Amino acid sequence: MTNNATGSIKIVALTPLGDAAAGVCDGDFCAVPEHHTQAVVNKKLDEDLV
Amino acid sequence: MTAPIKVDIWSDVQCPWCYIGKRKFEAGAAAFGGDVEVEYHSFELAPDTPVDFDGTTADYLSKRKGMPLAQVEQMMEQVTTVAKSVGLDYDFDRVHQTNTVISHELLHFAKSKGRQLEMKERLLKAYFVNGEHVGRIADLVEIAAELGFDRDEVTDALTSHRFLPAVKADVALAQEYGINGVPFFVIDGKYGVSGAQEAETFANVLAQIAAEREAEPDSAHERSDKEAAR
Repeated sequence: MTNNATGSIKIVALTPLGDAAAGVCDGDFCAVPEHHTQAVVNKKLDEDLV
Repeated sequence: MTAPIKVDIWSDVQCPWCYIGKRKFEAGAAAFGGDVEVEYHSFELAPDTPVDFDGTTADYLSKRKGMPLAQVEQMMEQVTTVAKSVGLDYDFDRVHQTNTVISHELLHFAKSKGRQLEMKERLLKAYFVNGEHVGRIADLVEIAAELGFDRDEVTDALTSHRFLPAVKADVALAQEYGINGVPFFVIDGKYGVSGAQEAETFANVLAQIAAEREAEPDSAHERSDKEAAR
């Protein structure tokens, strides 16, 4: 993976790809997607913390 | 020879999903195995944050969002657990909530030296893992000096705010793309991937683009290669 130092980008309408529910920060709010919340609960259950 | 796949990433230093997404993208790019060229772009999640906030990140978010402190702490615990799953030890108890605009200026300074990726990693680590302050010039100069940058040159760049227009240009570009949240990945100038996707997703997108290029032998990339070879 290399660094790039060029600045010119041609703006085109982007085609969205990937999981629409991935973790993202919007403003200063960083939502935790539901699948991550469940995974955390599962991990705690595995560790007998719940 | 085809050109590397360009990936433009909008990200903020104080964005927990950006560091997690960085790790997942790196894993995806490694799994893909082809040439990838990365350029980070500035995005300010909370440009009105003071440089020195007197309180914890949980206090800050609770006040800003009007959410109960316990709910914010639970959210942070969940993010910490996800970060741990990609090898990152987030320590929100030590995080200095701050304004990140000068750290973005430092990222542009590092980019001008061809060392943006190194600085990006160091600043994210400073904020989320080391509990370092990334909003004050003196602290940022220390971080840059640790990486081997010239202390006087960095001080001059940050105090003169020479790279502030570049930061603002990145933010404006994000608006043009309609980017509201980060991390946001613009891949090959045409695909938009939002959020900390799984590594497999990134690998699949990169593989898809590589396959599209192969299917179009007279693509712009091939043409530019031919032109370059003349």
